[in-house]
Amino acid sequence: MNIEILTLLFFLALFVFLFSGLPLSFVLGGVSIIFIWATWGPEAFYMVAAQTWGAMNKFTLVAIPLFIFMAMILEKSGTAKDLYDMMYVWFGPLRGGLVIGTLVICAIFSAMCGISGAAVVSMGAIALPSMLEKKYDKLMAVGCINSGGGWGILIPPSVIMILYALISGESVGRLFAGGVIPGVLLLVLVSTYVLIRCYFQPHLAPALPPEERGDWGRKLKALKAVILPVAIVFAVLGSIVFGITTPTEAAAVGLLGSLVSAVVYRQLTLKVLLEASMRTFKLTGMIMWILFGAYSFTAAYHGMGAAHLIEDLMKYVPGGPWGTIIFIQLVIFLLAMVLDPAGIMMICVPVFLPIIKAHGFDPLWFGILFIMNMNVGYMTPPFGFNLFYLKAIVPSSVTMGDIYRSVIPFTIMECTGLAIVMVFPKIATWLPDLFFK
Amino acid sequence: MQILNTVLRFIDNINDWIGRILSYGVFFMFILVLSEVIRRYFFNSPTVWANELTQLIFGAYVILAGGYILRWNGHVNVDIFYSTLSYRWKAIFDIATSVIFFGFCGMLFTYGGSLAWESLTSFEHSQSAWNPPLYPFKLCIPIAALLLILQGIAKLIRDIMTVIKGEPVETVDTIEREVL
Repeated sequence: MNIEILTLLFFLALFVFLFSGLPLSFVLGGVSIIFIWATWGPEAFYMVAAQTWGAMNKFTLVAIPLFIFMAMILEKSGTAKDLYDMMYVWFGPLRGGLVIGTLVICAIFSAMCGISGAAVVSMGAIALPSMLEKKYDKLMAVGCINSGGGWGILIPPSVIMILYALISGESVGRLFAGGVIPGVLLLVLVSTYVLIRCYFQPHLAPALPPEERGDWGRKLKALKAVILPVAIVFAVLGSIVFGITTPTEAAAVGLLGSLVSAVVYRQLTLKVLLEASMRTFKLTGMIMWILFGAYSFTAAYHGMGAAHLIEDLMKYVPGGPWGTIIFIQLVIFLLAMVLDPAGIMMICVPVFLPIIKAHGFDPLWFGILFIMNMNVGYMTPPFGFNLFYLKAIVPSSVTMGDIYRSVIPFTIMECTGLAIVMVFPKIATWLPDLFFK
Repeated sequence: MQILNTVLRFIDNINDWIGRILSYGVFFMFILVLSEVIRRYFFNSPTVWANELTQLIFGAYVILAGGYILRWNGHVNVDIFYSTLSYRWKAIFDIATSVIFFGFCGMLFTYGGSLAWESLTSFEHSQSAWNPPLYPFKLCIPIAALLLILQGIAKLIRDIMTVIKGEPVETVDTIEREVL
């Protein structure tokens, strides 16, 4: 059988089984081993088993459960509530101020933990009722949580970046550094949109009436809420970026910080710990099993020569190298509609990275674009995680239709951010080059 | 039928039990990594074993999770189409795709097993300064595959029962999924 038909069959089989509801890890693993069997023979399975062992035995990956555990603890600690109280008195007097405050908290949460869920859940429970009570427009209130909640994977630390580093061979530290400025860029873009829109349409997000603004005493007192989060952010990011510790060690330090803040807020109970450890176990296991399946996929994809075929096919994409980049982003965007980020990463990186490298693009920059794109995927229907989270916590006055409509302007702003980083790669690569020569 | 249910429940319980024990692993990893940081930076006396032990715990932690996660339907799938199906059709699809599932797990069992067997017969150690034995951890691969296969068989039997009865069998519907 020739390679074209084989490749076609391969992707067709993956597609069919994926949509039949079989979990991704078994689709990748199971379909691939049939094709490995047909092309290489079963000896190649030794390699897959050895790679499985290799992934079980990587110190960097230990950072994944630690970062996840940290997020689970932070979600339950009182940090978000105090931060919100602070934003309330400081930004409340502004038109759209609570939205800005929520976005800033989302960014802070993203800089503390490596996954997205914690920010959405916390803000959905704390900021959303407060904004609705203050007569903020519900689309604005829901949209900003949806948008900011996805930044967890872009603003370091990030579990997705650790996976990208593993598959692509980039350094985790460089990727983390690369996510900082694009993350800030998104915060600025989205905030600008909110400020401009609310300035001209004050009924969307009225400024707090003077009697609710709080005096300077309250404002200054509220500031102490940022001490712990900022300390955690510096401990985690600082130690990685300045090369003091490995990402795994930084994750342990950050986890310690989140435990401390849970103690400070008197939220640390045995129940919280055990529940968080169980959720961490499930999520880490799920991600790692996709990886185990993905090793078979990569072996099959490269083994049967599909890689060369796809590379040849990509030459037909119009627009040269830039056309290719845009095409790849579109593919990722479409995949993000049906799949979770870890899965997309493990399917797409082995397929697209060689092409990116062949065109002379920076793999680090590509990784950041990839993650920004999935960031949009988090908030867009039908498979945006943030949508699911929000659906579970919004009051009944907010319908699913409201949630869907609320993402439109925010998605446009985030796509603008993606385009800016695409056109100016320096935004992603400048900081890593500065710290890691 | 009674016996069958007992067996199915027994398989669930094995994975639940393993899952509960393993879920504590994150505490060990945390304490090991943190204490190593403290030893290195504050006492300037890193150990030769802490990082390697963490790594080995992590290996067992993630690979043995497979069966437990399957038991709670926690492996991520594309359900855009699947979720619209009735219980019976879901079960029919699951039975059809289980071939792929068993193929993968069987491969992992066989070849992970031979990897572990080689390691066991040669009493393989890691050759690092600490030099721990690796075979117990490599043995986790076939054990994990076996746990998955067992849980997969339990799921298959339940799916067949669902198709026959036309209504979901207990625990088929439990989904506890975490997302990234």
